[in-house]
Amino acid sequence: MSDNIEEIQKSVRKYIIIGIALLALSGFTVWLSTVELPTHGLNILVGMIVATFKASLVALIFMHLNHERPVIYKVLAFTVAFAIVLFVLFILSAQDPLVFEGFYNRNE
Amino acid sequence: MSAAATSHEHAQDHHAHDHHEPGFLRKYVWSTDHKTIGIQYGITGLLFLLFGFFLMLLMRWSIAYPGVPLPAIAEIRAIPGLGDAFESMFGRWMNADGSLNGEIYNMLGAMHGTIMVFFGIVPLGFAAFGNFVMPLQIGTIDMAFPKLNMLSYWFFFISGVLMVYSFFVGTGPVQTGWTMYSPLASTTGIGVTSVWAHGHTWWLTAMVFNISASLLGSVNFIATIINLRTKGMTWMKMPFFCWAMFVIAFLLLLAFPPLEVAAILQLSDRVFGSSFYLPTGLMEGGKHLDISGGGSPLLYQHLFWFLAHPEVYVLILPAFAILSDVIPCNARRPLWGYKSLVYGVLTLGFLSFLVWAHHMYLTGMGTMMSTYFQITTVLISVPSVVLLTCLMVSLWGGSIRFNTQMLFASAFLPMFGIGGLTGLPLAFAFIDLALHDTYYVIGHFHYVVAPGTIFALFAGVYHWYPKITGRFMSDRLGKWHFWPSLIGMNLVFAPMFIQGMAGFHRRWYDGGKYFENTSGFQNWSTTLTHNIGGFFGFNIPDNMLSLNIVMSVGAFILALGQVPFIINFWFSIKGGKKIENDNPWGATTLEWATPTPPPHGNFLFEPVAHRGPYEYSVPGHGADFFPQWETEQGKPETKPTADKALAKH
Amino acid sequence: MDIPYTVTSRPDTGLYNAKIGIWLFLASEVMLFGGLFSAYIFLRVGADYPWPVWDLDVKLGFWNTVFLIISSVTVVMAWASIKLRKYTQYKLCMLATIACAAIFMVNKSMEYAKKFQHYAVKLTDGTILTGHLPHGYQVKFENVDALELTIVGSNKAVDADPVNHVLSSVVGDVPKFKFPSGEEKELNKATFGELRKSMRDAAFAKMQDERAKMIEAAEKAASVATTDFAKYEAARKLTIAKNYHSLSDTKVKLIPSAPLKIAAKPSQFFGYTDTSLTFVDGTIATGKLVDDKMTLEVDGVDTRAVAQSEQSLAFDHRYLGEGWQKAFVANRDHHIADFEKKYPTRDKAKSATLQKESLFFKEFHSAEPPAAGEAHGGKHGAEAHAPADSHGHEAYHPTVVIEKKDITFFSNFTPKLNTYYAIYFTLTGLHGLHVVAGAGVLAYFLFFNGRMLREDPEHLANRVEVGGLFWHFVDLVWIFLFPLLYLL
Repeated sequence: MSDNIEEIQKSVRKYIIIGIALLALSGFTVWLSTVELPTHGLNILVGMIVATFKASLVALIFMHLNHERPVIYKVLAFTVAFAIVLFVLFILSAQDPLVFEGFYNRNE
Repeated sequence: MSAAATSHEHAQDHHAHDHHEPGFLRKYVWSTDHKTIGIQYGITGLLFLLFGFFLMLLMRWSIAYPGVPLPAIAEIRAIPGLGDAFESMFGRWMNADGSLNGEIYNMLGAMHGTIMVFFGIVPLGFAAFGNFVMPLQIGTIDMAFPKLNMLSYWFFFISGVLMVYSFFVGTGPVQTGWTMYSPLASTTGIGVTSVWAHGHTWWLTAMVFNISASLLGSVNFIATIINLRTKGMTWMKMPFFCWAMFVIAFLLLLAFPPLEVAAILQLSDRVFGSSFYLPTGLMEGGKHLDISGGGSPLLYQHLFWFLAHPEVYVLILPAFAILSDVIPCNARRPLWGYKSLVYGVLTLGFLSFLVWAHHMYLTGMGTMMSTYFQITTVLISVPSVVLLTCLMVSLWGGSIRFNTQMLFASAFLPMFGIGGLTGLPLAFAFIDLALHDTYYVIGHFHYVVAPGTIFALFAGVYHWYPKITGRFMSDRLGKWHFWPSLIGMNLVFAPMFIQGMAGFHRRWYDGGKYFENTSGFQNWSTTLTHNIGGFFGFNIPDNMLSLNIVMSVGAFILALGQVPFIINFWFSIKGGKKIENDNPWGATTLEWATPTPPPHGNFLFEPVAHRGPYEYSVPGHGADFFPQWETEQGKPETKPTADKALAKH
Repeated sequence: MDIPYTVTSRPDTGLYNAKIGIWLFLASEVMLFGGLFSAYIFLRVGADYPWPVWDLDVKLGFWNTVFLIISSVTVVMAWASIKLRKYTQYKLCMLATIACAAIFMVNKSMEYAKKFQHYAVKLTDGTILTGHLPHGYQVKFENVDALELTIVGSNKAVDADPVNHVLSSVVGDVPKFKFPSGEEKELNKATFGELRKSMRDAAFAKMQDERAKMIEAAEKAASVATTDFAKYEAARKLTIAKNYHSLSDTKVKLIPSAPLKIAAKPSQFFGYTDTSLTFVDGTIATGKLVDDKMTLEVDGVDTRAVAQSEQSLAFDHRYLGEGWQKAFVANRDHHIADFEKKYPTRDKAKSATLQKESLFFKEFHSAEPPAAGEAHGGKHGAEAHAPADSHGHEAYHPTVVIEKKDITFFSNFTPKLNTYYAIYFTLTGLHGLHVVAGAGVLAYFLFFNGRMLREDPEHLANRVEVGGLFWHFVDLVWIFLFPLLYLL
């Protein structure tokens, strides 16, 4: 665990490296958004992938999620699952409108 | 490990010499003790329950006797002080003759829902019983974060004050139903430029406080259950009560934030003029509103129901939690199917996040999504039935003690059954399209929550009252409380199914008087009402509207039925029969191992859970119950360090 | 008596209480921001207008990202230093974290302040003009010869309050008013209070009078009633009469001794016609509308919602006129040609960037339209813009006076403007609150937990770890916010 003094000493260097990597990735994100990919949707997708990568660096290294206790993984797993539900099902139900097939065509 | 042990010893040392009594304020108002906070929550919750009930009585008067002045309205207005309060809360909206109109009916409806759900049952079921009983049952000295616990209660208290205050502001309380659907809720009274003169702002602010209180509470509950279980209290030796509280806390933790989002966005719509929930081209009164548009009313419904469906289980699980203690204890039988109950409640908690849009079949959802939500909705009924069945089977072969709490508990089972089974048809979109917003839906969920949860809450009050006060509540008055309640509840809610299937809408303030002369409004129930009325010399017309009178009479019976309870509750504190020992019901869980009432720090010895929580009628054991804290020799492993006299403090 | 496991970890879970607590809290925060992001997706997918991209100050946003990332490093370093018992380093790291938070908030408030002063006006054909209001927007009336107040009988949300709502919009000296009593008095809190009291007393007396009459009539009817029905009706009327308590509203006219001039801001009135202006307190001023035009220093013309972009109402001769129209067309065609050269195979209509660059015209380099020869926008713009900054760039924006009948909607860049700005303000505002709260907690640990640092550093390390976890979460949210709101 992170209570080990030597390990903490070692990890200080790691924190700085990760910090610099995050800064570099932020610059990369800005540059990436000026590049016009075939569709804007692709831009968003790539941008979000980079952001997710950055976020997971923060979560894993800074927040020590790379070596955490099982209870916390379990709690977070459920949270993430429900957050995904929140994203996906909202959009799915909005993008799945009721269609009256043949209803409007009758008079045409 | 060692640290834990030392801190426990430490605690006992303190107890021996640390006897200075904290002042009144510290002890009863700014208390960090989980038991006091539980009692605070309990009493506030009961008062709100009574207040919400009173709002419902006003509504029922309007439905049964539309246009007829309230009885004794002139006398009520003349009471000094109270009359003025009544006047500024309700009176100023009523008709000149003291009858109710649609405007005040809408206010009462919205506030009845809000107060019952968020200020009555959740604080009572989850916060009050959970706070008092759960730490005792897992054998800890207090919650993990006592100060947050206090903060949670006071946030809840502030939210209650804000909510009640909305009765006094310029436009009165909200009128848009407890669901606060936008765009109606965002645009009513949009001309009122002073945001604090509008009840809606108060509602939303109160909800933000209420949600914060719930979050603090649920963080506390989960952390306590995970980290503060006593020695030997493994997950599978934990009473089902604590499991249920654990799941409820998770539901509150993860489902409430989206409601907070919904409330914040609606507040922004009202205060800053944004258009989160307002579609383009929205008109009111023939004029385009001064808004940008581009939002979606559906977004509100999704955010709202993402909370509000898990909320339904937050309302019902405390009932199962309480009954899982009351039923085995009074049937003198182990709880049947402990493991299936635990897995059932976990499944229920998980699934409850995936079913919310069955409240939204009418929003034009496509067939794919509505199929998905129909499937999950039907799925979730399986764990619910598992829970109910386990409780029912636990009665089998028991020698049942029919004291008051057991009466309430046994009435819960069929009542919840009716509520659950009438909910099944609503799971299917094509039936729901017809029944949506009718009294059928009202009947369904009130059967679940009113004779369901509230009966269980009453059972809990009767069950734990001796532990809190050291005295029993009167059993005779309890029976005078139980029978009118049971009859009243059924008279109120059963006719709703009949009316609902006839298409009666829930928001008619006049109970459908407009349709009085419509033909084909008779069936067996109306004829029965007519004949019974005729027998007693009343001329009750043979049509659906008469059921309104039946229901309202039921409501008044129910109101009378609560009088014995109120008397019983307050008078038994000093006048009830004293208990003979700390475990008056012969129960097995750890809360009965404490002195009565439990002192600050709860236990006089370090409790150890030696066995499962429901060891009743164990073959070969002397008594018909075998408490968790007793070793095979019948005594706690650790000798009490303090003498019995200490228990008095 | 102490709660166990506040400092040490419980052996079977391996965690101390506060750590479980903070992770649970963060789980609920994930759901909170999850709900907000889900609202973002919902609104963006359903948006019926071009979703703004690169609309905010990206440079500012980028620097804020940098500061948050640095603060994230320093806060985890603070925790490590306290574990290693390097106390000076701990204090420096905490200070750096709090300083970064302060810089972040200062940047943010500058960004907000700019938005509040920036306006967008939507014209009837869908064109959006953006710019600044040199004098704010006011509706002007002259020859106002009467103020009609409605004093409500009972306590309602909207009540006449001309002292607060009307007098502030009067231009010049406020004359005396002729009150209904016939006196000429100044209108101020005291005199209006008296007036209101007398009106309410009168309403109350009237109500009592009416009630007495009603009761008398009902009693009379009861005394002569013979049939059951008549008796029932009379009794009912008597109940109504006894409960009669409605205080009627009173309308009062105040006549100014000299005609008033009024200039009212939009927040001060509900609506107006050619002859009357209704203030938010319900007071109606009658007079003559002289001016309800909006003066705007234009810094952008968004024609994306217009089918024939060069025919936009903004280029009407009353507004920007032909010169800017030519500049706009030149700029548009230049961008389109550029795009075609770069991406010959792609669909022009589907490129959001091209739509924005070609149809959202921002190349105002002087107050006057450029001469025909030099209007080709694009690269030339950079040089022309150079002197603008030193002179403050309002000077270089053409001023137009827009007639009210051409405006469908206007707002400053606040949540009211569109759903993008609504979600932008909500997300960044809530995130800002988290920054303030997190920095506050860390500052508390730094400045008020000195004794704990000396006596029980392990406990303080736990506290800093928990505070740090919250801080990282704040950073993590920003990592998603920055690209979603600023870039993509």
